Amino acid sequence: MTRFWLIKFLRTVLTLWLVVTFTFIVLRTSGDPVVALLGGDAMPDEIEQFRQQWGLDQPLFVQYLQYVAQMATGQFGDSLRDHRPVIDIIFERVPATLSLGLAAYLMAALIGIPAGILAALRRGSFIDRAIMAFAVFGFALPNFFLGILMILFFSLILQVLPSSGTGTIWHFIMPAITLGTFTAGTLARFTRSAMLEVLEKPYMRAAAAKGVPAIKRILFHALPNAAIPIVTIIGLNLGQLIAGAIVVETVFAWPGVGRLLVTAVSQRDLALVQGLVLVIATTMVLANLIVDLTYGLLDPRIRKGA
Amino acid sequence: MITRRTFGKYSLGAGLYALASPTTRAFAQNRPTITVAVDNLWANINTINGISTTTRRFFPNIYSHLVERDYIGDKEGLILKPGLATEWTQNGKVWTLKLREGVKFHNGETMTAEDVAFTLGPERLWGEKPFEPRGKTFTAGFVRVEAIDDLTLEIETEREDPHIPGKLTGYIGFVVPKKHYLDVGVDAFGQAPIGTGPYRVTTFRSGEVLEMEAFDDYWEGPPPAEKVIWKIVPEFAGRMAGLVSGEFDFIANIPTDQEAQLASYDNVTLARALAGNYPAFAFNTRPDPEDNPLVDVNLRKGMVQAIDMDSIVQALFGDTTFHPAVPFNFPEYGKFYDPDMKNPLPYDPAAARALIEKSRYKGETLRWHITRSFYPNYEAAAEIMVEMWRQVGVNVQAVILDNFQLVYTRPYHMMNMSMSTDFIPGDPYQPLWLDWGPTSSRATAHWKTWDPTPEYLAAGKVFEEATDFESRRAAYLKLSQAWQDVTPGYYLWKSVYNWAHRSDIEFVPRPDGEMRMFGDYMAL
Repeated sequence: MTRFWLIKFLRTVLTLWLVVTFTFIVLRTSGDPVVALLGGDAMPDEIEQFRQQWGLDQPLFVQYLQYVAQMATGQFGDSLRDHRPVIDIIFERVPATLSLGLAAYLMAALIGIPAGILAALRRGSFIDRAIMAFAVFGFALPNFFLGILMILFFSLILQVLPSSGTGTIWHFIMPAITLGTFTAGTLARFTRSAMLEVLEKPYMRAAAAKGVPAIKRILFHALPNAAIPIVTIIGLNLGQLIAGAIVVETVFAWPGVGRLLVTAVSQRDLALVQGLVLVIATTMVLANLIVDLTYGLLDPRIRKGA
Repeated sequence: MITRRTFGKYSLGAGLYALASPTTRAFAQNRPTITVAVDNLWANINTINGISTTTRRFFPNIYSHLVERDYIGDKEGLILKPGLATEWTQNGKVWTLKLREGVKFHNGETMTAEDVAFTLGPERLWGEKPFEPRGKTFTAGFVRVEAIDDLTLEIETEREDPHIPGKLTGYIGFVVPKKHYLDVGVDAFGQAPIGTGPYRVTTFRSGEVLEMEAFDDYWEGPPPAEKVIWKIVPEFAGRMAGLVSGEFDFIANIPTDQEAQLASYDNVTLARALAGNYPAFAFNTRPDPEDNPLVDVNLRKGMVQAIDMDSIVQALFGDTTFHPAVPFNFPEYGKFYDPDMKNPLPYDPAAARALIEKSRYKGETLRWHITRSFYPNYEAAAEIMVEMWRQVGVNVQAVILDNFQLVYTRPYHMMNMSMSTDFIPGDPYQPLWLDWGPTSSRATAHWKTWDPTPEYLAAGKVFEEATDFESRRAAYLKLSQAWQDVTPGYYLWKSVYNWAHRSDIEFVPRPDGEMRMFGDYMAL
């Protein structure tokens, strides 16, 4: 078991190092950030002074070594734009993204999983078709389009929900629905197919023959056995949640990590982009670790295999 | 239980209390919060390092100018009036400024001539390694800035400069507190600035929000709003919905094709101002790339004559703006402006074809680098122009790029740009000389697109030294002609700033884009 976790840990460190190095090289070799940061009419003197101040006049490998040395001490550098520590800027934004992601995930799970179960139980019926139609709609509709439609309908026409920003529970509704719709649709489809497979297993027929009530059969016999693919989808969708947040946070002016990334990339704020990529990569790696761990908890055979 | 008698007693008491309270306090308690939804803020709020269209919107709410342009008394803003400086007099190369007494900075310190000398001085703007190096552009010719006493300042220039008061109406005229600036450093100052304006900054997160609160010791008296919040809402649908539903009081930067929709709401008023700025494109007149056909002036002039810009402007903007037919003959230049000046290169496809045939152009594709969504309607206009050039046999490819850094990456034959006109009120110095002259980025940067000709440089020297109007006007015409002989660029239209706000707010838009939440420019 210790060896299993050691390998996982080393693989995680290697992945993060590759991500950091790749991001560093791509950002530095894809052009000079100074013009993007200072604006089109910056004077040559100003550009030179800025380059010296931030060490951008150094050879690439010197910049890389400085960056790695800095990271080894737990520092991610200062933002070229805000002149503040990158880590402070990122962690100011993390709560907003986490709260929105949590709300969207809860909504997706509370709608997607029961809808998938219901569709499986009513296979071939009108309810099944209606749920699947909504599921397809959910993951086929681009979230920026859904977001703008919702703003126009609920904020502009009905004037019942705030169009942007944070502050109250009402501010969560439209961004969470926009962000969670894709995941809800995906979860509904996967839950349905996983449940259909489980419902046809002999142990389900045996439970029915023994007179176990339907609700117990579904919750305690079918659902745990269908959980592995559902957990996999939830894990995979964590990445989608962050990618989706980039769009949703921009549409709804939500002050989260996604919007910060968009701004940092468009302004070529190198240190901030590197820090954000590292945080996002860490999130993904941790999510995968948690999924692996959950597999073990759900299925003793995997635990023993490990 | 409240009886009629106790109610009367309490009411009387409340009335007496209100009468006894300081008026400013009662006023302050009743003031509203104003929320402005904007498309962007900027990385810092330094008066020079932070120069941009987006910062100009809110700068005068934080900082005050030494000298003010009066857009209420004159729509072109050619009348100057006192700001932090109450008098200014010239004696040869030396200007003497008398400063307003008792002006407070947001940290409670009193403004002195030392602060103003530092604001305009070499340490901050034009020395060897200044804190805000872009200041060199605006202080060309400064040799001495000195505090004579607490309220008197002298500015000495290398030659007589009649335009110093006009220059102080721009970015360099915003005064900063010397001690605080030096204590915290330029970067920290740009994140939490202190000025003498009607509002003080309380929160600034550059990618999200700027919050400011009323500064009741402001030298013109308490401002009308308790707080002003500038909030980034990148998506226009969000800004529009927020204004219509009452979440926001103002929104800025409205796409032209959405103006009519916004104006259709009863609770919304649309405001526009013709800006002191012209989107344009530059021809790359240099042999870089080596086979650049645009080194031939006949091709450049032919391409200009192939553009029916009046029709393009009418199609894209209606009657809200116009195309300046003759470069640098702009209406904001007052006495310099000649509405009857003849256009030497009017729209004429036959003349365009003749000029192009005379050139060495062989049908090569010309790359036109354009920054995505930077100027309203620029890409749409470019599409039409590309088609117009195709009609006369010139093959142009509009290459839309994400940022200026990509636009400045060679090879290119043309690139987008814009030029401001308001550095010196009523004088064409900025677009004609500062922006194209020998020290301009257009002539010196690694992405430069032209080398000023000897004729242009000679005319520019005369223009720089001319002080009285007649000689300056003659020099301006000669310099403009030297530029037109080369035709290194083409001005498209006068930019339009637009805003929308709650109908019950009175707001006076300004051509410099400033959104003044105080004084004669806003009433709640």
